[in-house]
Amino acid sequence: MEAATVRAPAVLHPRAAEFTAAEGALERRVGLLYGATGIALVALMGVLGLVMRLDQGTVIGIPAAWFYRLMTLHGLGMLTGVLVAMMGALWYVLRLVVPLRPGWMLAAWGLIVAGAVAVVVSTLSGFAAGWTFLPPLPFFPAGQWAAWTEIAFFAGLTLVGLGFAVFCLDVVERTTGTYGGLVRTLGLRYLLGREEDAPPPQAIAATVVAIDGLVAGSAGMTIVLGLLGRTYDSRVAFDALVAKNLVYFFGHTVANLTIYLAAGALYVLVPRYAGRAYQTTKPFVAAWMGSFVFILTAYSHHLYMDFVQPTWAEIGSQAVSYAALIPVAVITIYSMTMLVWGSRYRWTLASTLLYLGFAGWAIGGVGAVIDSVIPINFRFHNTVWVVAHFHTYLMMGVVLWSVAFLAHVLERAADATTSPARRAAAIVPVLVGGYGLTATWFVEGILGIPRRYALQPAGTSGYSEVGAGFALLFAVGFGLLLLQLGPLARAGWALRGPLPAAALPAPARNGPPLATPQQLAVAVAASVVALAAFFPQVVHATEASMRYHHLAHAAQFFLGATLGLVLGSLPAVSRRLGERSGLGFAAALGAPTAMMLVMTPGIYEPLERHPVDHFLYHLGMAALGLVSGLGASRLGLVAGRLTYVAAVGMPVMFAAAMKGA
Amino acid sequence: MRLHYGDPQVALGAVFGAIALLLAAAFVVIGTQAGTDVSVERVHRLGYWLRKRWLAFLVAVGVLVFGISLFDLPYPSGASSGRTVVQVTAGQFFWTFAPASVPAGTRVRFDVTSVDVNHGMGLYDPHGHLVGSVQAMPGYHNRLDLTLTEPGRYEVRCFEYCGINHATMFGAFTVTGR
Repeated sequence: MEAATVRAPAVLHPRAAEFTAAEGALERRVGLLYGATGIALVALMGVLGLVMRLDQGTVIGIPAAWFYRLMTLHGLGMLTGVLVAMMGALWYVLRLVVPLRPGWMLAAWGLIVAGAVAVVVSTLSGFAAGWTFLPPLPFFPAGQWAAWTEIAFFAGLTLVGLGFAVFCLDVVERTTGTYGGLVRTLGLRYLLGREEDAPPPQAIAATVVAIDGLVAGSAGMTIVLGLLGRTYDSRVAFDALVAKNLVYFFGHTVANLTIYLAAGALYVLVPRYAGRAYQTTKPFVAAWMGSFVFILTAYSHHLYMDFVQPTWAEIGSQAVSYAALIPVAVITIYSMTMLVWGSRYRWTLASTLLYLGFAGWAIGGVGAVIDSVIPINFRFHNTVWVVAHFHTYLMMGVVLWSVAFLAHVLERAADATTSPARRAAAIVPVLVGGYGLTATWFVEGILGIPRRYALQPAGTSGYSEVGAGFALLFAVGFGLLLLQLGPLARAGWALRGPLPAAALPAPARNGPPLATPQQLAVAVAASVVALAAFFPQVVHATEASMRYHHLAHAAQFFLGATLGLVLGSLPAVSRRLGERSGLGFAAALGAPTAMMLVMTPGIYEPLERHPVDHFLYHLGMAALGLVSGLGASRLGLVAGRLTYVAAVGMPVMFAAAMKGA
Repeated sequence: MRLHYGDPQVALGAVFGAIALLLAAAFVVIGTQAGTDVSVERVHRLGYWLRKRWLAFLVAVGVLVFGISLFDLPYPSGASSGRTVVQVTAGQFFWTFAPASVPAGTRVRFDVTSVDVNHGMGLYDPHGHLVGSVQAMPGYHNRLDLTLTEPGRYEVRCFEYCGINHATMFGAFTVTGR
């Protein structure tokens, strides 16, 4: 629960003062930085979307090459925009109860902005493989883009992913430190009746999102590093099915997480306008445990029409895709309607957009769930129906929440909101334009029009024309919304004054990743087994297959990483090394990154000619593992173990995705 | 060829439209009621009572839809015996079919692959209705079993973004009269 404040802010519900903490200057500044950056990206990417829709409707004409460049940029840029805004929102509400590190958040911002700049440069210079860049498309440019743009795009994506990973790691380390381990932080002891209290909703949501984000991010990093290797050496080849699995495991999950990031913030923001506190309950914890699993396992519905994907994975994905609806529909959205019902809800710019975002999430979600049924997907897969449903819950859901978050921070600063007439003048065109636009896509999906077409099928450009009209209307409304933020910012600036720092618990952690003699013994035993990866016969046998040889590298890395974790967990060593989370994180992820980059034939082939060089190369794999394990040991029990698993998992996924070279 | 609305798609669109309208109406009602003053206890009593039934309803619908869907999976079962195999090869930016035509009523197994990047075979019947789609993936063969009863020209469009000419990557497969 947030601490009580004395003064009741006029812009919030009168009863909100009982449970609304006053944010400090740091929360407000970080919130503004992330909110403004996210909204700026969203607005710019929205303009690109409008241009594409106008082009499809033949209102304007742009070359197909530019359409696909803009499409690639629009997709990744928009995702990055809402991700940034929602990261800021969750940090803003979580920092009220958990001592998150502002320095890490600023580092994450810097990495993401640098990555976004690289992606913009890459796409405007020609790269147009789509934001899902399904391998090997980036390397079949059909004369449309240069090799350096591939490097810039993947480097940019890596930076964005790293920025998100920094955020996730900070959250996991600090929430589990504050609440005493992962089981407590997730509320499981409370769920099982072993404790009376549970962490606040935003802490549980943030921990789930951060862990899922790190897992999905490691898959994304793996495939992107493989692609970077391919830019250096054209002999690197991918298994198209495994690569597609990794791309969607990463892409679907991160896109999905933007909504769950938002949910974590909404548990705090909506009650401020409803005057009813939102508290952790057992159904809430159970729902988030469900989401924890469903978020990571639903992605295979992107591969329904890849019939070589195991059928059990397809059917399982269908079950999970539907199951993912249950926690959202029964807990999050339903609870929000209960918060609002009969509450004398305080309608402001922020609270109106918060409320409307739930409608977009619910309606778009229904379109998605319909599409997640396999026989239906057979008829809708990669038609514009998909564009329709994801725009409904992103554009009319997460984008509205992004503006709502920024508006909330400004409303808090100004302790005022905009006039009802001005709000209506902006929101009506946003609703009519937004739902009109997505309706045209739904209708086109029913018609069977494929997605990602610069040139619409004969006789169908009229739908795009109507859609473009709605898109223009949405753009006008969205512009009017943004214009309302200016006066709020000015009013807030005029009222600026010293803000008290939030009263936070002291940062704590949960000891080393391997805390007991038994755990150390198991890790040492695993290392002994992994020694097999160095046996000459095993190494020789794996030479017959690129995939198995990479797997041998992964085993050598595993050996080093496990030894590193053991070493770093020993009390004497741990004391000498100190906490050093930042350095530990860099080492833990930097080492597997270096490992995967040197697993490019052009780099390792010269080292295979002499047996000593070859042995040293393999030893280097274990050495990189050692660095990674030592780094992970600096991150504490939960974050350390999680980072260790991600670091060891990356070379394994890499081995699976590589077909030969 | 002009596209036309497919029957299953129209039915699904109608179902979605109805649910979307219901949800929109619910949000209007809840938004209107948000301005009233109802005690938390009363909201909780009614809300939790309704939530149990809402959960049961969603679970029931999920089980029902899941069960029905298993009877209409597009995945091939068993060997290709008794089916005419049509090799479908995609590439930037073309389709080839071998054989390029079959008699009406033939039980066909499309064996779909790609020589370069991922593509998707979106198959439209002679009237421009989308029959369905299957991906064409380099290094893999996706097999789709269909029985095409209506003679005519079945157009194929690319259903996976594959580069600059993605939107004009057409192909055609012919079903002849018996």
